[in-house]
Order: sequence, then structure tokens, then C-alpha cells
Amino acid sequence: MTSRSALLLAAGWIAASSVPAATPPVTPAARQAAAIGCVDCHLALDDDRVSPPAKAFADDVHARAGFTCASCHGGDPRAEDQDVAHDPKKGFRGKPSPRDIPQLCGTCHADAAAMKQFNPSLRVDQLSEYRTSHHGKRLFEGDNSVATCASCHGAHGILHVKDSRSPVYPTRIAQTCNRCHGDVGLMKAHKLPADVYAKYAQSVHHQALMKKGDLSAPTCNSCHGNHGAAPPQVASVANVCGTCHSVFADEFKASPHWEAFAEMGLPGCVTCHENHAIVHPTDEFLSTGKEGKCTSCHEPGTEGARAAAAMHADILSLQRETEAARAALRREAEAGMEVSRAQFDLSRADEALTKARADVHYFQPYAVQQAVSAGMTVARTARAEAVRMRRDREFRRKGLFVSLALIGLAVAGLVFKIRDNDRRRPPGA
Amino acid sequence: MAWLRDRIGWEDIAHLAAKKEVPIHRYTVFYYLGGMALFLFMVQVATGILLLLYYRPSSAEAFESVQYIMAEVPFGWLIRSIHSWGANLFVGVVVLHLISVFFLKAYRAPRELTWISGAVLLFLTLGFGFSGYLLPWNTLSYFATKVGTDVPAQIPGIGPLLAQILRGGSDVTGATLSRFYGIHVAILPAITTLFLGLHLILVQRHGMSLPPSVERRGPGRSMKFVPDFLLRDMVGWLTAVGILAALAALLPWELGRKADPFSPAPAGIRPEWYFLSMFQALKYFPSEIGGVPGEMIGVFLFGAIAAALVAVPLLDRGASAGRPSVWWNRAAVLALAGAVALTILALLPAGRPAP
Repeated sequence: MTSRSALLLAAGWIAASSVPAATPPVTPAARQAAAIGCVDCHLALDDDRVSPPAKAFADDVHARAGFTCASCHGGDPRAEDQDVAHDPKKGFRGKPSPRDIPQLCGTCHADAAAMKQFNPSLRVDQLSEYRTSHHGKRLFEGDNSVATCASCHGAHGILHVKDSRSPVYPTRIAQTCNRCHGDVGLMKAHKLPADVYAKYAQSVHHQALMKKGDLSAPTCNSCHGNHGAAPPQVASVANVCGTCHSVFADEFKASPHWEAFAEMGLPGCVTCHENHAIVHPTDEFLSTGKEGKCTSCHEPGTEGARAAAAMHADILSLQRETEAARAALRREAEAGMEVSRAQFDLSRADEALTKARADVHYFQPYAVQQAVSAGMTVARTARAEAVRMRRDREFRRKGLFVSLALIGLAVAGLVFKIRDNDRRRPPGA
Repeated sequence: MAWLRDRIGWEDIAHLAAKKEVPIHRYTVFYYLGGMALFLFMVQVATGILLLLYYRPSSAEAFESVQYIMAEVPFGWLIRSIHSWGANLFVGVVVLHLISVFFLKAYRAPRELTWISGAVLLFLTLGFGFSGYLLPWNTLSYFATKVGTDVPAQIPGIGPLLAQILRGGSDVTGATLSRFYGIHVAILPAITTLFLGLHLILVQRHGMSLPPSVERRGPGRSMKFVPDFLLRDMVGWLTAVGILAALAALLPWELGRKADPFSPAPAGIRPEWYFLSMFQALKYFPSEIGGVPGEMIGVFLFGAIAAALVAVPLLDRGASAGRPSVWWNRAAVLALAGAVALTILALLPAGRPAP
């Protein structure tokens, strides 16, 4: 045995006997020594099963914090002999089973004292949250086909959640979830639909996140939770949507639909807006046409259908009036009139239209009417201003015509005078 | 009247006016350009004074005050549009006046100082245009002024200090606006009054210049300045008023959007048409020529052209001696063609980016 091997063995013995598996070696030299054995052998083996983890671990967030293979897998990394290195007596656990993974990660991530050494602000309730998730419940019931920590975060190349390459970065989460939730066979076994990603990809949320790059736009975990992932309960849908859409949620809770939906067991916002395929709402949601939502519950001629029709008509009338005012001001601007103040004032009609559309969630025509009425006043004022400008323009044209006529007369008079002078007293004479 | 006549003595002026004659020949029409420039200057003074009543020279209020003039003040739109259109016509007429005086060789002795004072008046006119362009504090004027005030910064040694003084700081800000306002309504008018007074006195003293080709033919016909020439002048002035009124009523001068110093410069930023040739020419200079920044060389070149323009009567001695100044005419035609070509290139969408 060489002196280096002896030293490594001694260090390994010390590490295995006195240092908890989750604690990284203290000094850089010790870290290198602790890691070198596993990585050297696993890379040298050139085996598709064991080499890639050794390669991937180099970029792992845990490796950067000083953790080694043995921190999770146990064993003796300093041993030159595989049997010694993989000796269960030295804590070797090999590849943890899915059922063991949450607990293994929780060794540190559920331990506030351990986490304080690396990231004091990081939450330590992931394991307890996971136990409440559908994934966790099924896992602990013995179903190994559900997601565990490694399913989403990866096992050996775990990146920080704020790293855009991480599978749990906002723009990647939906695809990460879809790895399982888009698997038709797996979802069939769990009696779940496999088209949720396809539906989400049509939604305004997906557009905001992926096309506009708005990282605050919701993805799977925003509504379902991440570690405690589960579908929102029927009664809590409005609360979940309300975390972002607070005005709509408050108005909905103040509306007659709140209690009615609860009695009927309807899932709040989702009833009209869908859950995954949430498209941009249009005013036609209130119509009796193909896109109409109200008529699916309210028969034509009923009070509810009449209320929807009234709200629809009010909103359309404000929209028409605002557009007419905008077009009139645009015409005046193209004719060279100063319209910026009027255009600025008209923006209050746009705000009123937005408010009227939001106030639909009271499901009371008078609430919509109030906002519409305020907007109509603004739009009519702007339109009247455009009419005033058109008249002013006409006045200017008439004034110009009169002025040019007077100037023409004056010029004619001057020319007459010049000719008269020239006739009576020729130039140069 | 007699009391006033004894104290003011306008009979002398009337006598002078009655004596003044204007030669009649094939180029007489060019004599009207001077009077037209003077008339347009007076229009600018009158409309400018009216705008002063409502304009507020601060970055917070300038745009809004012009907006108020355009939308709320009775006939404010007319006054502001006439002032803006009038400025452009004024520059155009002054340039035409200079070109005609050059080719008619009116700078020959003893009218050298008349030319020099006129050339200075042209630069003052351009100064009026440059300083006035910023005053509405809109996006175009703001960014054009940023580019424009970068030009003097290229002068070695005093350039950065000059730009600093011009801007009232290291960048175009509200301080620049109040500075440009002061320059536009006080400093330039004061200097212009002096040079315009000198120019007019010299014109009266030396009378109208005859082009060499007319002079060689000997004494010709002439007309009285008052009333014959003045009446013809007035026809031109009234026509100018009609054109200005039509432009103001049919194509009111646009106000644009309020300047936002924190927003990126919009595409297609360019100065007024009379600076376009210089603006375009600067784009053709390489970044460095023999270790000297290209823009600096460009600014030097413009400075040399301006100096040569002022010194034309002193440099072209042959013209005063009665010899034809062929080379000067050729150089002037070349410079004019170049300026027109560069202006067209700057106006073409494809001509805007740097080559």
C-alpha cells in the first residue's frame, strides 16, 4: 500500500466514522480527496450507467457547496477497492429507491440547522409539503411511478432554481411536468389526462411566460404548488386565481355566483375560463353566440341571460363610442390639428372600458353600467372635441380663403398702381 | 406735424428715399430677395414676440406651453405655424439672396463689408434656426440638438468646453433649453440688430450693385425706390404672407411628442433641412484619418468653408479688378451641387444610415 492510499484510507475511515453523511468535508483539500475516489473510478469505467452521473456532478449546485458523492450515497470514497468503497458497513446505500429519495434529500433540506450553513434563507418545509402532495401521498402508499425530488430537479447535475438551464426554472417547469403528465401510458394508469401541456400551451399564461418572457406569469407550480403539488380544490379555485387576479376574485366573491357556484360544486373561475387552456377573454363571453359562456347555465329569456345581454350591450356601446372618438381624433391629427391633450383624456375611456370588463365579475348589470357610463361621458367629450376641431379646421380654411382673397385684391391693387405709375412716369424716363 | 418734423426731421429720410434709384436690367428680380429676407425677418420678430407671451422656457413646461398655444390660445396655431414655416422660408430666402449676390459679384469693392455683414447674418440666421428648433422640447428637437451640440465638441482644445457652455452641462437638459431660449430671444436678436443695421446702412451708402455684364454696357434704365421698387417689393411680401397663411392653415406645424431624455433616440433623427448637407457629409468621414478623428476633420472643413465664404471679397480680388472669377464660380457651383446632393441623400430613407 502506498503512502497516498494509506492516507486516503485513514481519511476515509475518519470521514465514515465521525462525519455525518450530509456534512461536506471542511477543507478544500479534504473535499478533493473525498471526491476523487468515486469520480476517478466511475469515469474510468466508461459505463453508460455509472459514468454520466460522475460527469454531471461537476456542475451540481451541491458539488459547488462542497458535497461529494458519499454525502448522498455513503460508502468510502477513498478506498481503492470497489468492495471496500461500496461496503454497506461504511454507510454505502447505492442508488436510493424513489421511496427513499424525499427522505434522503430531506436529511439536509428539512433540517434548518444544516441548511443555515449554506443558505439560511432557503425554506426547509419541502419534505413536509411533499408529504401533502399527490405525488408524496402515492409514493408513501407504495407507488414508485410518481415524481420525487430527482424527477424534477435531476439527480447529479442539479442546478440552482434561478439558473435558466434548471428544469424547474419558470420557463422550463411546464415541460418538466410534461415529461410525466404528457406520458399517455403513465397518465392512463393514474386516470389523469395527458393533454394538459398541450392545453396550457394555448393559454394566455403560456404566451406571457414564453413569448413575452414575463417570468411572473403562471406555470404549473403557480396554481398547483411545487413540492405540495395537487390540483386546487373546487372551493379554492377563486383564491388560487385571486393570488394574481385579486380584483376579479374580490368581485366574484361579492357576486351572486359565489354562493351559487359553491352550492352547485362549480370550480369558480375555471367554470367560464377553463383551467389549462385559458384563452384571452373577449366581450363575446357575455354573448349568446358560440363563444358565449353565460348561456351554458342561463337559458335564453331568463334573468341571468338578460343580465348578460345587458352587460354585453353596455360594454360594446362604450367600445364603439371610444373607437369612434379615437378615429375622429386620428382624422384631426392627420389633418394637422393638435390632439394630444384630447387623446390623453380619451385614455380615461379606455380605463373605464377595462374597469367595466373587470366589473363583469360582479355579475350585476348596474356595476358594469356605472363604469360604462363614466367612460361614455369621456368618449363623448373627446368626440365632441374632435367635432370642434373639425369645425375649427373648416373655419381656418374659410379664413384662409377670405385672407387669400383679400391678399389677392391687395396684390391686384398694387399691380394696378404699379402699372398706373409706370404709364404716367415710365421707369428710367 | 410741423412740431414733430422739427424734432424728428423725417424730411431727410424722405429725401434720401426719393433719391434712391434701383437699376433695371435682366437681373433686377434678384434685388427683391434682400427685401424679402428683411420682411420675413420682421414676420419672425412679430410672431416670436407674440409666442413669448405664452411660451415657458423650462423642460417641465415648454412642450405643454406650445401645446397650449396650438390648442387653446386664440389664433395661437396660426402664430406658431407662421413662425415655424416662416423660419424655413426665411433661411431659404437668405440662402438664395447670398447665392444671387455671389453670382452677380455684388461683393466687389467697395461692397466687401456689405457681403461680410451679410455672411455673418446668414450664420446668425442658422443660429436662430438651431436654437429655436429645441424650444418646443419635443423628441425630434431634443435628439437633433444632442447630435448638433456634439459637432462643436469636435473642435480640438476648446471643443469640449464650447459644447459644455452651449449645453449648460455635459448633456442636453433643461439647462440647455433655458440657455437656447436666452440665445434665441436675446443674444442673437441683439447681435442681429447690429449686423442688420450695418448691412442696411452699407446698402444705402453704396446703392444697388450692377452685375459686371450690365456694368460694362454703361448706364442703363432705373426706377425710383419709392414708390416703384417698394410697391413691387410689397407684391412679393403680400404673396409671402399668403403662402405662410396657406401653409399654416393647411399644414399646421407638427408638435410631436414631448422629449423624454431617458428614452432611446427614435429612428430617423435628423436636423432641419438647412443642416442636412453637413449632417450627411459627417457620415462619410472615416472614424480616423491619419490618427485624427474623422469628425474633427469634418468640422474643420466646415469651418474652413465658412471662413472662405466670409472672406470671398478679400480672396477674389480679380472680381474687383474687373476680371471674371471663373474658378470661384466653378467652386461655388460645385459646392452648391454637393450640398443639394447631400441633402437629397439625407432625405432618402436609404441615405440615412452611415455608409
